[in-house]
Formats: sequence, structure tokens, C-alpha cells
Amino acid sequence: MHGDSDPTAGGADEGVDTAATHGREDVPDFRMARRHVLIELLRFAAQLRNDGVTVPTSATLHAAQALSVVGLDDRSHVADALRATLLSEPAERDAFESAFPTFWHRLRSGLSAVATDHDGPTAGGDDEREDGPTHADSPVAEDPGVLEDAEPPDIDDSGDGDVEVRIPTERRHVTGDRPAETGESDARRYSAVGGRQRVDIDTAQLTESELTAIDRFVDALSTVPGRRRRQSTAGDRVEARRALRASLSTGGAPIDLPESRPTLSELRCCLLVDVSGSVLDTVDRSVLLAFADRLYDSARETDVFLFDTELVDVTEQFARGGGDPAAALREAEVQWGGGTQIGEAFTTLRARHPYAVDRRTVVVVVSDGLDVGDPDTLADGITWLAQRAGALVWLNPLAVSPAFEPQSRGMSTSVPYLDALFGFAEPADLAEAARQIEQRGLHGQVGYEYDRRLVGADSGGGSA
Amino acid sequence: MTREAFASLSGSDLRERFETAEYVADDRTVTTVHLALTLGRPLLVEGPPGSGKTELGKVLASAFDTELIRLQCYEGLTAENALYEWNYTKQLLAVQANEGTVAGRSGTGHDHEQSVFDEEYLLERPLLRALTAEGETPPVLLVDEIDRADEEFEAFLLELLSDFQVSIPEFGTVSAEQPPVVVLTSNRTRGLSDALKRRCLYLHVEPPSFEAEYEIVRRKVPELDGAVAAEVCAVVDRLREEAFLKQPGVAETLDWARAVAQLRQDDADAPLSTDEIERTLGCLIKEVEDLDRIDAELLEQLQTAAARAEDRLEA
Repeated sequence: MHGDSDPTAGGADEGVDTAATHGREDVPDFRMARRHVLIELLRFAAQLRNDGVTVPTSATLHAAQALSVVGLDDRSHVADALRATLLSEPAERDAFESAFPTFWHRLRSGLSAVATDHDGPTAGGDDEREDGPTHADSPVAEDPGVLEDAEPPDIDDSGDGDVEVRIPTERRHVTGDRPAETGESDARRYSAVGGRQRVDIDTAQLTESELTAIDRFVDALSTVPGRRRRQSTAGDRVEARRALRASLSTGGAPIDLPESRPTLSELRCCLLVDVSGSVLDTVDRSVLLAFADRLYDSARETDVFLFDTELVDVTEQFARGGGDPAAALREAEVQWGGGTQIGEAFTTLRARHPYAVDRRTVVVVVSDGLDVGDPDTLADGITWLAQRAGALVWLNPLAVSPAFEPQSRGMSTSVPYLDALFGFAEPADLAEAARQIEQRGLHGQVGYEYDRRLVGADSGGGSA
Repeated sequence: MTREAFASLSGSDLRERFETAEYVADDRTVTTVHLALTLGRPLLVEGPPGSGKTELGKVLASAFDTELIRLQCYEGLTAENALYEWNYTKQLLAVQANEGTVAGRSGTGHDHEQSVFDEEYLLERPLLRALTAEGETPPVLLVDEIDRADEEFEAFLLELLSDFQVSIPEFGTVSAEQPPVVVLTSNRTRGLSDALKRRCLYLHVEPPSFEAEYEIVRRKVPELDGAVAAEVCAVVDRLREEAFLKQPGVAETLDWARAVAQLRQDDADAPLSTDEIERTLGCLIKEVEDLDRIDAELLEQLQTAAARAEDRLEA
């Protein structure tokens, strides 16, 4: 199509420019056009990655080269070129097909904006020329903002309606932001039947220390015997080595038989995560998923349930997700963000998954306790859980605040039955919980009120 | 046509060449092959058996009038089978006759003595031949059913595919003056490594639409009457809706079309009968379980589909 035989970034440059000039009299801003195409291409690749497609970095480079060959005029040619370069599995085509219309729309509307407007979509004319797709991470920070007056893309609504573009370089904010700070939550009204939505985020990458904190928490909760054994006065097995040593003092006759029992080093866990709108707005939801995933990996056996107005068993999604449960949840079309009916969730758990909880299981509930369901149902549910489970631990995102008191209806109903109530907004809070459990045991004096970090802020300690 | 000429090849030019070679290709195939040729990158073609993957390689060779070097992969295929082997017999005789020395190329052999590790004693296998092929147009290297080869072999292919060169320890590095056009095909019996996929352009071939298949049958089996060809395609199209273990591919359709043409000498344009379909099913269905699923009812439906074929073509 073009005489250029050198498929390098230079080639991409030329192809893009040629396409942009096509059929127009005035001289468009080549650099802007080229930059726009590269940005959109990266966004598209990021979107595909977000949707679970394995797109190697080099593939984006190759896609840019391919675009320089086929030009940007024909939609089907562009689609074919990108399919050939970005995909490598038949299963990835669905993600491509759903993301492509948006990409195409952005691309075309941006190019027309560049062609008609000499200033280009952003006032970035004075910055240094980008040398190729490999450097294109940097312009990503600026949104080209081309969609203001353009018509919306024709996305078929089988995927999530609003396409959230995450650029790989974007930092994720792992903080326990309060709802008031997030802004978007202002408009939300928490209700028993709030609007549910699909899982539209991806799993956060936790840092090493956060992972360690979760692992430590898991270890602290251990209820199931592992392989390691320790000395005990009433164990189930004779400790041969010590018995032999002791027999030396009695002339080889084993009189004393020291015994040993296995240490509790494994965790069997039933994780109940409240994914109602109020919780999702309080904690970073991607961190929440990452926490659940790490817990799933770290414990020997974990059943994971998400609940808002309904209870969903997502253990399978976590098993299959391979470190990215968000993608698996998205694929399973799990919805979240509805109202909070904790009691109903416990009743459903009891009815449908009674074997998820037994006396060796630690039930970990992540919820803010802002229950809007029937208090009696909640009381029934929590007493059943407390009776049946080995231990019942509640992680409350609101309890990280020094001013927290379990006075909401749901919390005040539940607190008497809990072994421990901890604050949990970020994995670091779990390290504190683990520290307390390690020192005083799960049935000892542990809980948010003994959190050392909060003592300075608030001198008082609550009562559990 | 040199490698440089490939780079300036246009999509429509490629389409014409496919037409001439009687290969019916959809837009996606043409664009992807075009990209593979212009960018000089290997093309990985995946799809169900009998969807014309191997044919694509053959057609490329004939369309550009160049040599087709085919490497059929199988389990246990080693680098020696695929790349090169030393002609041990010849080497042994040369050494015995004092015509050569076993010292390597850079060894300390006397000047008049030639090393037996030389091109003369090298048996070129497909991959090496593709690199050293002479001629104006680069050859087409068809690595067929790469998924059947071991993963080690796949890893071995990587050097070849990225740099178009191979290293022979005793001899040195052989690099291609004209990188061959590489087509890899896979039936997806196992997943290929990311490293391999990353280096290739990817094309997934699907069973053709009714119209495209009709076009293919018309071109490849000209002896079959047009109306009957449409019926044949309609029946196959209907069969693909069933959940068979082995879906009939285009290759099966062509086989069947030829069989039908062969059987009916006299009344060439009579419509297909259920009896005729049943007798020749062996061309289409290759699994006994699938054959069991074909009962009178399905045969009836097949015939109905066949009867409607004409209308579909006109629509």
C-alpha cells in the first residue's frame, strides 16, 4: 500500500500520517495524529489485558507496524490487523470483539478532531516528539479527551457498559478511603435492594509486606493440625527421639514416654465477604479481592462467599482465577454492590452450604455490619455460626477509625457472638490482628479495641 | 519476486493471486497473510482439521511460483530430522581415504586437508533448506501441525523464527539471505508456548459460510452440477449444526462432492436423495459415534436443507 518497506516505528509513523491526510485538503497535525493512534492502541491493549487476554508488550509494537501497513481507513482491515497481532487464542476473540467498537470509535473521532483542529485534541504540541510505541507509556497520563462531542460508541451491552480503561502504568491506590472522600459515593443511597452491578475492576497487586500480613493472619487463625508436632503432656503419639534420650539415664529401659501432638498450623476457613454498596465504597474493592485471593491461596481449605442481598459461592472462581479472581468473577457474571442483608446471607449459607462451616472452620466475615434486614434473622444466623464454627472473626472496615463503636443495629446484634472483631481497611490491619491473636490467642482479649495503633488517638477501650 | 517486493505487495494484488490459485479466501485471511508477507513475520494458522490451513501454505507457494518446503511435525521429531544431519558414511569414507580430517573448521588440520565438517558432508533437512534456498523468490516453509511436535522442538524453532538463522556447532551459523515465508499450522491439540505465539501473526480459520463453501466446491469440483453443489454445501452446513465429535471440514465437503459427482454419471442434475446421502456418508462422518447419531429423522432434515439450498444462494 505504501512504498515503505521498513517495518519500524518510522513505518508506523508514515502509515498513520498517510491515513490521516487521506481525503483532506488542510494539513493535519501529523504528530498529534500519530500520537493519538499510539495512545488509543495502548488503551485498547490495556483493555484487552484487563479482560483477560494475554497481550505481550511486543504485540502492541507489532500491532502498530501492522496498522502502518493496512492504514486506518477500513474498519475491517484494522480489525483483522489487530486480531492477527494482539490475539493468539480463539477464546480471546470475544473480548476483542466487545472492546473493538470503542477503540475504533475513539480512534476515528480523535483522528477527525486532529484533522479539523490544528491544536489537536490536547495541547501537547510543545513536548518532545515520541519516538515509537515503546516509549508511549508516558503520554498515557494525559487523556486525549476526544469524546466530548462525539457520539457514544456502539458497545453491545453484553460486557460491562462503561468501559473502564486502566493503563498499566497507572498506580492503584491501596488505601482505606472513607466513603466521604471518594466523592462518587455521595450520590449513592444505601438500601436493602440497592442496584447491583457487575464486577468491573481488576485484582490489585499487593506488596510483599501486605502479602506477609495476610499470611501471618492466616497462620494466627490456624485450627487444623499440620505435619509439625510439639511436645505435650497428653499427646497422641510417643516422641521416639526424646524417649530414647531419656532411656539412657535409666540404663536403656524406656520408663518415661514423652508424648507429642501436632501443632495447629493449617487454616480451614469460610470467608464471607460483604459486597454491598456500602462496603465496596469504603474499602478498595480490588484490594478486597486480592485479600480474599491471598487468603484462599494461603489457607489449606477456603470456601469463599460473596453476599449482598444474595449469597454467592465463588470458591470455584477463586480456584480458577489463578491470582486474578476479578476476571473469573467477571466471566461468571457475578454481581455485587446491592444492599446489605447479612442475616439473609447467613440463613442461605445454613440452608445451602451447611458443610462449609464445621468445628474446625474459622469463619471470617468481612462486613461493615450496616444491616438493613430483619434483626431476628441476623441473630438466628450469627448464633448458628458461632455455635457451629471453630471461631468467628469479624473484620469491619469501619472499625479502623478510633471513634468506632459497634452500635449499628447489625453490629450490636452480632458482637456478643464474635470471638474477635477487628478493623480491616488494608492488609496492614491484618498484621495487627495477627499480632494480637499470636500473643493472647483467639479466645483471649483481642479485637479492635486493643489495637495499639489506635490507643494514642483514643484513650478509651471498648468492651466486647 | 524478492523479499523486498513482498513488502510493497498490496492487498488486492494478493487477492488476485489467491483467485488465480483457485483459493477462496475471506477478507480476514487476505489481510492477515498480507501482513505476514509485508512485515516478514511467520504466520500461525489455527483451526479445525480440514479447514484449509495446509492448503494456504501450498497456495502461497504456487501463487508466488516458488518452492514449497514442508515439514510435517510429529511426536518425537528432533532437530536432526528437521534441520540437518551429517552424512556419516561419507565422512567416514573421506577420513579413511585421507581426503578429510575430523578437525573442526577452525582446527589445525593441514592446508591441503579439508575438514569433513563441511557443506559437502551436510545433509540438509527442510529447515536448513529453507534458509539456504537460492532463487529470486524466497521459499515458503510450511511447518505443518506444530502442535504435534514436542515442546522442545517448539523451543528450538524459536531461534529460527525470530532471526531466520540456525547455529550448527561444528560449522557455524547459517543465516538466510532471503528469509523464507513461514506458515505454521496447528490443530490445537495442545496449547503452544507464548514465546512461539508472540513471534507469529495469528490467524484462526473457521469453517466457511455456506456461500463461501459453495464457491470452493464450484472451483475445486467443477465436474459437479451447480445445483447439486449447492445441495451438498447445504447438507454439510446442516450437519455442522449437530454436536458431532468430528465436524466435517471443507476437505470432507470436497471429498463428498467428488464422491457424489463420481456416483452420478447419467442424471447429473437430479436433486440429492436421502438414500444417496446415506450411502455416501462415509465421506463426511469419520466417527462411529457420529454415524450412530444419524437417524431417519436427521436424514429427512438434511434433505429438506438440501431442497432449500437453491433459495439460499439466491437470497
